[in-house]
Amino acid sequence: MKKNAYLLIILSGICVCRAKAQSSILDVGPRVQKAIDLYYENGVSLGYSSKKLMPDRVYFGFSYYTSRLGTAYHSNAIKQDNYLLSAAYYFRRNHIIRPLLRANAGYFSADYGSPIFDMLPSKTMLLSVDGGLCFQTRLPLKISTTFGYNLITSNGLNNVPGTIYPFFYQVTLSWNIFQHANRTALKGI
Amino acid sequence: MKKAFVILFILLSISGCKKTPDIPAGDLGGGQIFDPSTYNPAKYLVSVSNPTPDATQAQVPVIIACHGYGATTFEWDEFRAWSAGRTDYSISQVLLDGHGVTYDQFKNSTWHDWQSSIVNEYTKLVQEGYKNIDLVGSSTSCTLILDLLHSGFFNNTATTVHIFFVDPIIIPSDKFLSVVGVVGPMLGYVESDGAPGEEKYYYHYRPQETLQQLDDVLDVVRGELQDGITLPKNVYLKVYKSIRDPTADPVSVVLVYNGTHTSTGGNIDLDMIDGDIHVFTRLDLVPGVTAQDQANQVYAFNDITMRIK
Repeated sequence: MKKNAYLLIILSGICVCRAKAQSSILDVGPRVQKAIDLYYENGVSLGYSSKKLMPDRVYFGFSYYTSRLGTAYHSNAIKQDNYLLSAAYYFRRNHIIRPLLRANAGYFSADYGSPIFDMLPSKTMLLSVDGGLCFQTRLPLKISTTFGYNLITSNGLNNVPGTIYPFFYQVTLSWNIFQHANRTALKGI
Repeated sequence: MKKAFVILFILLSISGCKKTPDIPAGDLGGGQIFDPSTYNPAKYLVSVSNPTPDATQAQVPVIIACHGYGATTFEWDEFRAWSAGRTDYSISQVLLDGHGVTYDQFKNSTWHDWQSSIVNEYTKLVQEGYKNIDLVGSSTSCTLILDLLHSGFFNNTATTVHIFFVDPIIIPSDKFLSVVGVVGPMLGYVESDGAPGEEKYYYHYRPQETLQQLDDVLDVVRGELQDGITLPKNVYLKVYKSIRDPTADPVSVVLVYNGTHTSTGGNIDLDMIDGDIHVFTRLDLVPGVTAQDQANQVYAFNDITMRIK
């Protein structure tokens, strides 16, 4: 019995150590974004950091955010959708406050609601950069807030949809579901 | 390092606030050239030229023509010239308050001041007994008139008010207007890209205070459109919008169309114009005018004057 208890403690210790040193991270959570002087476009963000590639420093992500869940909800604002892939670097690992820099590329689509506007540009590539701070708590919870700049915007003549504004800020709350899964696995031992 | 940035920011802000452009005497805003309606209002305003219409004159439609931000009555001079000899309507060219005068007067004006000129002329014409009053607005005047529609200003009109928008602006093409609140005080003013000759009729130097006012009214009216504007029973609205526009982003028309409905829940009338001139009804001094541009202008003039009958 005593032997089994020692074995259990050793095994648990190994599992925790393995989890801390080698776990990949998958952050998932809601994203709230505001274009300076224009719409709220809200949605969801995913961020993945591989245990094999600068774990918890380099993140690859996907975000979907839309005015349908923001300003266009129950209003006449334009319904527009943004799909974004990103690559980010988080500084100061193992600190609570971590600066981050991110580059994004994606796709934008607006629904003008009537075929009479078919001649107006409604789709474009998205290209942006943003940077800010991530508050990394002891829980698998991150709160990140960034300020960003869209490199592709309309000037009224260049066939780019008119409701992409240059400057934006966003707040994302995300939960590391891999860490949650690891803890569940440990509980099951 | 942080302290250095703060000091630099303060210095830039202060230097921006004190900065006043050196305006040539021959330019609008330089103190020597003023809009001609300021010293000959009777030539431009029906309320001044005929304040006591007889019963017949009172029935003749009056079209109040309202120009855009930074512009003057010049913006609707071609409509007046095209209408020469017409007796089935008259044109009252309003000069927005703060416009067509000195740089400082423009700088100290607000969008409520600009709007007041439209309100004043309309109110005077009603008080003088005119029965058919219509409006045509360009660019920012459309925004100002939309706000009047939202406020209920035209709710109790006895006869049909026909309102026409030429290139309304809700979303600017220059997206950096969105940060004028931060950048403006550092700059003091912004120079506009005007064609040669336009500096006599359009402010070449735009005070950052007025750009903030412009940004404010665009935000306000965008919100009003998002909530929805329902036209009163006796108001007709039609929009003419260039599909490419370096000043009023073409997407502005989507917001106006989706945000405004008739009293019976229907859509407003709309023409998308194949061109890339802002306020395509004003071609004088515009470089590179094409036959299509001229056709667009004549089409709009004909369409407006046909619909007010």
